[in-house]
This record gives sequence, structure tokens and C-alpha cells, in this order.
Amino acid sequence: MLEVNNVSKVYGEGSARVVALSDVSLRVNDGDFIAIMGPSGSGKSTLLNIIGGLDYPSSGEVILNGKRIDNLAENALVDVRRGKVAYVFQQYHLLPSLTALENVLLPLIFCGANGRSSQKALDILKKVGLEKRAGHKPSELSGGEQQRVAIARALVNEPSLILADEPTGNMDRKTGAEILSLFKQLNQEGHGIIMITHDPEIAKQARETIVLQDGRIVGKTNSEEGGENKC
Amino acid sequence: MKLYRIVLKDMARRKKRVLFAALGVAIGTMTVVGVLTIALAGQARIYNELEKYGANLAVTPAINNVDTHLGDLSLGTLAVGENYIPEATLPQIRQITDGEIRKARGITDQGDIATIAPELYINTEVKGSSVMVVGVEPDAESKIKTWWNVQEGKYLEGTDQALVGAVAAKLLTLNTGDTVDLNGNAVTVTGILGETGSNDDYQIFVPLETLQKAYGKESLVSSVNIRALCNACPVEIIANAINQNITGVRAIAVKQVAEAEMGIMGRMNKFMWALGGITLAVGLFGVVNTMMSSVNERIKDIGIMRAAGASRNQIMRVFIYEAVIIGIVGGILGYLAGTLLAYIVGPLVFQGININFVLQYLPLSLALAILVAAIATVYPALRATRIRVADSFRSL
Repeated sequence: MLEVNNVSKVYGEGSARVVALSDVSLRVNDGDFIAIMGPSGSGKSTLLNIIGGLDYPSSGEVILNGKRIDNLAENALVDVRRGKVAYVFQQYHLLPSLTALENVLLPLIFCGANGRSSQKALDILKKVGLEKRAGHKPSELSGGEQQRVAIARALVNEPSLILADEPTGNMDRKTGAEILSLFKQLNQEGHGIIMITHDPEIAKQARETIVLQDGRIVGKTNSEEGGENKC
Repeated sequence: MKLYRIVLKDMARRKKRVLFAALGVAIGTMTVVGVLTIALAGQARIYNELEKYGANLAVTPAINNVDTHLGDLSLGTLAVGENYIPEATLPQIRQITDGEIRKARGITDQGDIATIAPELYINTEVKGSSVMVVGVEPDAESKIKTWWNVQEGKYLEGTDQALVGAVAAKLLTLNTGDTVDLNGNAVTVTGILGETGSNDDYQIFVPLETLQKAYGKESLVSSVNIRALCNACPVEIIANAINQNITGVRAIAVKQVAEAEMGIMGRMNKFMWALGGITLAVGLFGVVNTMMSSVNERIKDIGIMRAAGASRNQIMRVFIYEAVIIGIVGGILGYLAGTLLAYIVGPLVFQGININFVLQYLPLSLALAILVAAIATVYPALRATRIRVADSFRSL
């Protein structure tokens, strides 16, 4: 379970002061599916980064599975990234010199890969439907395929929470829908998901949608209350 | 798959950048290897030049209390008296001399090292004038007196021959082919020496054996000159060892020559090391620059690795591996280029030197290059580890 309590984030000082997040609180249960919407610059990515320990809040606290992570030292955050939380980015963020399989292996290498790691990575590539492209480099893959590799990479450490920053933002509708259904499948398998999106149709698939504007939560919609069942 | 494989794959993608960094390292190591190679080749050359200074050890009879017998200067006084060194001590002197040199230089080869030239002085009269006749071993003598130059005729080749100093030849009106009477034994003048400016000009040189027979001094010599020239040759230790082990002789180290030689080499080496060090430092800044841009180029990649669970240490290791690879490439390039540099520049510094690949400089070159690359990488790599993941993606 994830709790965000009164988190604010301020960049710069004096006249250059920018408030990216202001007093944001939210709760994400295990296996939850949350969508975050809002215009550009509303603080969506900042919130996601703070939740995942990629960035520090200026005030407030982030509690992951009963443990505060907002005040953790850099080395302790590494453990958070290696286990509980994984990221999927709009830009895929794959290492261009590595093959799809090697990109999926990357988190395991940093954790100290063993002999079975390659098989595990291959199994996960299979799960996202890319086992035949395992030996290809990102430049040889389509956008949808690259995002599947990125999702496989996120899954390899069996995270309880997947943070996705506009994962379908660079894709046509059809590919986006495929990626989205992959996320839904993962959610059904028990992975919690927080996903930033611009697309209300995608947001509808989530259990709850949070709307951010100027760093504040200005709206929350519960999809289940709207009559849509996530199952 | 291990972290270093990721680094290798990534470097393969950035060949040009890696090559530039390696070249920065190579420039420094090239200079050091070049300088060392030239110095090594030049050393042999310098020793050849220094040969002209003559002997650096003189062994004389112990009873003879003349203090001034440094090489040629003492000859006039040495000739008087009945004090001689038995020839039988020569092998012992050689054994001690070569033994000490072997010890000091770690030489295992059992061949002769030092040049040992015995001399016998006889003061006699030729054509009514008093003159010094010196018995020598022609081969050894020519090695010690490399400045000798036979102006007329030939050098000593066999018994009953004589080589006459320039002034003596003039005063005594001796020409090649003339005979000189030495205590009833006739020797033929085979050559006249060019002027040397030393006592040699006033003397007549005949083979040792001939002189010994003529004057009944079989198996006796008046003094022994030893040339043991090598860097850090322990001339004083040799002199002490001879004095302690052989009775009846007195060995004196001619220190000035050895010290001058060492001084020249030492100053030259210092200068060359300074030159190499400066180039190395200049190269270092070049590599820092390249590594800096390498870090900047890869801010995104570093963010990806951090987001995928890389610790700061692991990011540091990525750059250390990169530095080691750059060092290896740069070290090999530097070694090859340094030898080439020596080949081109060496002859300009020392005429007629022989430049060879000095294989023991390859590990030195590699170690130096890796060290430089590692030092150059410390700051950029530290910066890389400080990159915040969120910032690395925002900057795109």
C-alpha cells in the first residue's frame, strides 16, 4: 500500500520559485489501478517521480508498505527501485546499445544476475509477446515493441507497484490499446499501477482517476462508481 | 551478463568518442615511452662518447707512495724504483672487478666485462736521450685509450714492434721502419701516434712481452688501468675489494670520471622525465574533457540505469571500466607511437643511435595510460553518480 500525505514540491527560490506540487495526498491500495490526468505542467510527472523515489518532495511524506521513503538516503532508495517499484516511461528509455533481452536483464544485472536470469528475462519477454525479437536492438523495434520491452524490464523484478508515465503517449490508437490491455492484464495479476495519461478513454479503465491542475488535486473520479467494473 | 559487458557494448557504439579519449591518453604515454626509449638508446651512445675519458680505476704497487698517479699524470715518477705488480695477480683483479660489476648490475653472463690493461714502464736511453718506454697489451690499451690515432704506419700487431708518441718521434727523429735498440733487443717502429696533448706524446709503446724480455722483468707490470664503465659501476667498491684481497697493490678509483658520467645521465633523465610528465598532464586534461562530454552525452543512459536499479557505485564502476578500456587502448597506441617517435626524433638527439622496441616499456605504458585514464575519470564519474534520475529525464 502506498500513502502520499500532504506532499509539496517547490523548485527554485524567490522570483524564480515554481510550485510543482501543492499539498497533494492520495492512497493507493495493493493491486490498485490509478490514472493521473491533467494538463502539461500540472505536476503529474513530479508526483510520479516522488512516489517512485526518483525525486524528493519539499515537504510531506511518502509511505510505501508502511515505510517512509521520502526521506531515505540515496543508497536505500536503490533498494526501493530494485524491488517494489518499477517504471515505464513514455520515451521507453531503453539502452540503445543493448538487445531487447539485455535491456530486460538490466535490473537483474544491477541486482547481481545469476545463471537463471537470462531464462527469466526471456520468459517475461514471452509474456509481453516479444520472445522472437529478443536479439533485436531498440532501433530495430517499433514503438509498441519498445514499450513492451520497457514493460518487461519493469516486470523482471516482480514489483508491487508499476509507475507508468504516459506509456501510450507516443503510439497510435491501436498500439496504445494493445499496451493498455497489457497493463490491465498485469493489474489483474496483482501489480499495482499508477499511470499518467492524457486520454480520458484510457483513464476510464483505471479504478480511480486523479486530476491535477497547477500542482493541486482538483478532482477524483471513481470509475467503479461510474458503473464500470475493472474486472 | 555482467556490468562490464554492458560497458563494452556501449563503448562499441561510441567508437569515435572512445578513440578520442584513448588518443588523449596515448599522447602522454607516447612521450614517456618515446623519451625512455631515446634515453635508453642514447645511454649506450653516451657511454661510447665517455669512453674517451680513459680508465676509471688505477692499480699500482702498494709500496710506491706517489699520490699523484691518476692515469697518465703519474707515469714519470712511477718508473723509478723496483716496485712491480706480479702479472699473476691480473686474473684476481679481473675476478674481483667483474664480480663486483655483476653484483651491482645483476649480470649473469660469465664473459669478461671490464677492460684490464697492464703497463710496464722502463726509463731508458734512445739515441742518447732519456725516454720512457711503456710495455702494453695492444688490444686492451687501444680499448682504454680510444682517442689514440695512428697517424703514420700501423698500430702494434706483433712482438718486437714499437709505436712512438708524436713528440718523441720528432725529438728522436724516428720514422716508421726505423729500429730502436732496447737493452740490446731491436724493435721496429710500425707507427707514429698523432698528438694527444698527454704524456703519451713523449713515450714509446712496445708490446708488454717484448719489454719484459728485454729488461728481464718477466711476469711483472708497473701498473694496471681498469676501465669498468657502466652506469652506477661501483668503482669505489671495486677499489676497496682489490685493496683488501690483493696484498702489495693499491687500487684507486678515478671518481671524477664516473661521477661526471652519472651526473650527465642523471640530469638528462630528469629533464626527460619532466618532459614526459608535462605531456602526460596535458593529455590528462584532454581526457578529462572527453570523459566530461561522455558523461553529459549519457545523462539519459545513466538515468535509465539508475531507474533500473543501479546504485551510485555501479554507475561509478561503469565509468571505471570505461577508463580501464580507454587506458588499455591508449597504452598500446602510446607504446607504438612512442617507439615511432623515438625512431624519428632519436637520431636528432643522439647521432647514430639504434632505436629498438623496448618490450618492458609496454606494461609501463599500459599502467601509465590506465592510471591517467582513471585519474581523468574520477571527477566526471563522480558527477555522473550525482545525476538525479528525475533531472536526467527532464533535460530531454
